Amino acid sequence: MTDVRITIEDTSAGTNKNMRIIHIGGQLDESNVDEKIQEIYKLLEANPQNLFLIFDLENLEYMNSKSIGYLTDIYGKITEGGGKVTLAKARPNIADILQVVGLTQLIQSFDSIEAAKAALSS
Amino acid sequence: MNNPNQDVKITITLPTNAYFISGIRDFTLNMVKSTTNFEERWAYRFQSVIDELCNNAIEYGSAPGSDIRVTFYYKKDDYLKISVEDTGTGKNKINAAGLQKLFDGRKAPGYAFTGIRGRGLVKIVGEWSDELKFEDRPEGGLKISTTKYIKDARKKDEGLSQNQATPTSIPSIKLNI
Repeated sequence: MTDVRITIEDTSAGTNKNMRIIHIGGQLDESNVDEKIQEIYKLLEANPQNLFLIFDLENLEYMNSKSIGYLTDIYGKITEGGGKVTLAKARPNIADILQVVGLTQLIQSFDSIEAAKAALSS
Repeated sequence: MNNPNQDVKITITLPTNAYFISGIRDFTLNMVKSTTNFEERWAYRFQSVIDELCNNAIEYGSAPGSDIRVTFYYKKDDYLKISVEDTGTGKNKINAAGLQKLFDGRKAPGYAFTGIRGRGLVKIVGEWSDELKFEDRPEGGLKISTTKYIKDARKKDEGLSQNQATPTSIPSIKLNI
């Protein structure tokens, strides 16, 4: 299995939102995505309404089309529940693939966590 | 000493296991950077293209315990062609005409990708190929070939540096993983 790390940080303190930062590092591919993505779905199950998520992609080196499919699905579930999703700090190759599949038309992408937070807080 | 003006052909055979695909991605990235004149962003794009084609071949085309074959052909200063072949023993018995139809349907304007799967071939391989060809192999299975011409890559990367490392010559290599 290719190495990938997903950690979830609660950043609700100081805001009036139920906000989390999902830090993803390594490579999300066919060998690991089905298993690792469940950590995020568990978070969604526990917080079905008004969840505000920032995906911190600074250390993400690779993602395949299935990972993008999951991101799209997660976006749909969160927005249905009244929440919001943003992306932050994607490397050029990750930004490139997100753009070619059209995900950046769906989910806003920012250069910094602070900017992503500000967008979710507004 | 190898002639740096020679074309390069590399063939890799690997088992039907997603575990090995990260090695192919690393190889693709390094090979495109060191052997071709494509801009660096294309090394990452080819990495995604090869990953999607191999995953499809492993998931649908070749049964567990069989192989897939990946071939890189670099025509110096002209194009890079990548082919992925499966054995046709996998769970999806689609032929080349059927796959072309499926591809065309998903490429049609307004097609909505609703599931987790299905974006790779059309939105990644299709978008980053100048030519995409589906063929039935005489011995069974499918061969999918994607070709990207350097001049088109440069046109799309207008404004980026065109200085590249001197190509390394590897006339023909076969690897089995």
